[in-house]
Amino acid sequence: MKLEFILNDKAVSLEVDPMKRLLDILREDFGLTGTKESCGEGECGACTVLLDGKPVTSCLVNAVHAENKQVVTSEGIAQKPLGKLLIACFDETNAVQCGFCFPGFLVSSYYYLKNDGEPNLEKIKTALSGNICRCTGYQKIFDSVMMACHRKQEQEK
Amino acid sequence: MKKVRKFDAVPKLNGSYKFLDDYTRPNLLYGGFLYAKFHHGKLKQIKFPKKFSKDEFTIVSYKDILGENIVPEPENDQPFLVEQEVMHYGQIILGIAHPNKKKLKQFIDNIEVEYEEMPAITDIEECLSDENNVFGRVLEIKHPAEIGNTSHLIHTKRIYRTPHQEQAYLETQAMLAEYDKEKKEIFVLGTMQCPFFVKSALDAIFGDTIHNSVVETSEGIGGGFGGKEDFPNIIAGITALLAYKSGRPVKTVLDREDDIQITTKRHPSRVEVESYTDPITHKIRKLNIDYRLDAGAFQTLSPVVLSRGVLHASSGYAVEDCYIKGRLFRSNTPSNGAFRGFGAPQALFAIESHIDNVAAQLGIDPYTLRKKNILKIGKEFPTSQPIIENHLEDCLEKVIEISDYHEKYREYKQWNLEHKVKKGIGLSLGLHGGGYTGNGEKILNSKIKLVIEKNADINIYVANTDMGQGAHTTLAQMVDEAIEHPHNKTRVVIPNTNKAPNSGPTVASRTIYIVGNMLRNLIKEVKKELGFDNLETYVKAHQADFPREFRSLFKPDPQAIFDDETYKGVAYKDYSWAACVVEITYDPTTYEINLEKCWNVLDIGETVNPEIARGQVEGGVVQALGWGLSEFFYKKGFGRKQGFTDYTMLTSRDIPELNIEFIHTDNPIPKGLGEIPMDYPAPALRNAFLNATGVGIDEIPLTPEKIFANLEEK
Repeated sequence: MKLEFILNDKAVSLEVDPMKRLLDILREDFGLTGTKESCGEGECGACTVLLDGKPVTSCLVNAVHAENKQVVTSEGIAQKPLGKLLIACFDETNAVQCGFCFPGFLVSSYYYLKNDGEPNLEKIKTALSGNICRCTGYQKIFDSVMMACHRKQEQEK
Repeated sequence: MKKVRKFDAVPKLNGSYKFLDDYTRPNLLYGGFLYAKFHHGKLKQIKFPKKFSKDEFTIVSYKDILGENIVPEPENDQPFLVEQEVMHYGQIILGIAHPNKKKLKQFIDNIEVEYEEMPAITDIEECLSDENNVFGRVLEIKHPAEIGNTSHLIHTKRIYRTPHQEQAYLETQAMLAEYDKEKKEIFVLGTMQCPFFVKSALDAIFGDTIHNSVVETSEGIGGGFGGKEDFPNIIAGITALLAYKSGRPVKTVLDREDDIQITTKRHPSRVEVESYTDPITHKIRKLNIDYRLDAGAFQTLSPVVLSRGVLHASSGYAVEDCYIKGRLFRSNTPSNGAFRGFGAPQALFAIESHIDNVAAQLGIDPYTLRKKNILKIGKEFPTSQPIIENHLEDCLEKVIEISDYHEKYREYKQWNLEHKVKKGIGLSLGLHGGGYTGNGEKILNSKIKLVIEKNADINIYVANTDMGQGAHTTLAQMVDEAIEHPHNKTRVVIPNTNKAPNSGPTVASRTIYIVGNMLRNLIKEVKKELGFDNLETYVKAHQADFPREFRSLFKPDPQAIFDDETYKGVAYKDYSWAACVVEITYDPTTYEINLEKCWNVLDIGETVNPEIARGQVEGGVVQALGWGLSEFFYKKGFGRKQGFTDYTMLTSRDIPELNIEFIHTDNPIPKGLGEIPMDYPAPALRNAFLNATGVGIDEIPLTPEKIFANLEEK
């Protein structure tokens, strides 16, 4: 099929098997390798992207489902002001270990920061519960997102 | 000690840092494996699917191996590829490559393997109970003492069991191999902990056919935890063979299911502990430990895991009359291998649970029993190694204080009488010897190299990889802090076996402790030799002398002697110490445990980068609590795990509040850190459940199913 969608704020189109996973399209056809495959069954969240503004695991989304939609990857988020704020907080807390899961965490955290952003630990834990991290024990990820929430609130004052 | 940020955090976040699957090559083939889906049997025939043209595929079997079909390991008993007899589920029969990933998978999925089934041992309990299954050397630590009549002593004998644990690094195992025909050179790029192990595997599988092999790690390594210590040898060997045969670059990336099914796991254990305790003095007078590990089908590195296991089996307790025996048992499951802790978590689960069982039998609190028997100056390990510091006791006292243990211990007793949902508090001690066991570091004989460039940049060449632990940031920090050089002018070059000398594998909590200390000493010697105050000024004034290379060798401590025959002497020169308190709530309606708080006090010596050190403890503790609460890979009646859907790790909703303190950080030596946080939390969790319910379950994980079954029994 001819697939047309908006990728990181740019209109794109390509000829593709409608059943090809969005994950593979991003990595193989567009070279956006920030989106990672880890479990391949929607459990770990390493391949999380925003589809029309909502986080989805791109290993479970087929090409046909992205038709005419907005797709934002970690690379796209890294360019946005709230994305930059999150990256600065993850960096400052030395939260990142192997980093394989972090593009996914960046997307989930961005979604929370943008749509809620309350510095509330329970809410943050729930917002990140679809992402598995095996290195950090999550603590520093919470600390980073909490820090970003506080900074966003300060900026908005 | 200062706060230095990780150099790789931002590129990992914005997606620009490359992990193995992010690399590609022109003319690339994808590699995959046909592996046995049965436990034990003789291969009869392999039938390739007719709907594919077989010629499109590059296929290698053991017949294509040009050197030896044996993976180099501490015990060389595992083949790269099956010859006639399959010894375990998941054993690789063929390597196969094709330009199209999807077609490759369809082809492999449709290959039929005919075989003659043979009897197999697949159940852990069956494996570990049958003395006929013992293989390899039996290890014994003897510390006999005449304690006289034991009839007045409290006798406690229990069996403790722990399951397989999957490393579950988020990046699956992966290798990219290329063959240069003219140079007769194999190049392998991969996600791994030990580049020189992979190099020796390539040299073994190719023999004299090639002139050289070069191994380099990918930029990012998506976690290891021991899982990428020895299994990468097999993937690299077979992938390189495919590249050699096809004449094209080959990339093999395991999918999650294959990774879970065929790679190494933590050894399941069965540890019998028998103790005799004085009811008046509360001293444990006599201790017998029978430590057993399920090695899987081949021994590979299990003898080394066994060795560390027996050396940690009596934990932090001094017992006059102590006997420890360690044995490996054979089963028809994939060889078990390295996993953070390396035999110590199994050992500590048994003894730390046992201490609480004894305390319950004596009717005293678990703190008092620990305090009475703790290792301190004047005491010794069962190997007769003398104790030179009271830091373990300091950890214990500190964790009791910060967790308010005594108060809660009393309070929860009362609470549990009055409430349906129970509260529990559990204690454990931990210790971990840094570096290779016994004379291992002496034999390893690590080498390091520094190059000071013309612009005064310092490039560090070592074989130790950064798989997320922050080792490259911390190593660079140790070098620049030693001479007050700017941090952004110091870096570790991506490990490559042609460029870096062999500074040993990235295992055994040895990277900062051994290699970091070597680097720090070397740069201090360089400073002394050249006589500079400021390196940048010196290099500017002596441009002709640079770039200049400096090297050094590991210098063993002549006092630290270990006798590998008798298991006497200094097993580890420096121990890290820890004490832990876990608080839980338990809901008897759902049989579910909730993790509430986890208090950790550790002595790891100097904390070079306190935030990085804290991150290591947080991650290790959560892995350990997952092992104690929910993770298991195989169990009779449950079958084998397939992926992250049924292999349940802790998520952000499951973790407790973590409290971590480091003590004795004024020690000039940073000791081992990576593994100790994995060693001690599981028994503290188990002991908290005992405290909450009065029921001591001697096996993990404490799933609702297991709790239900145990309570039904009582």
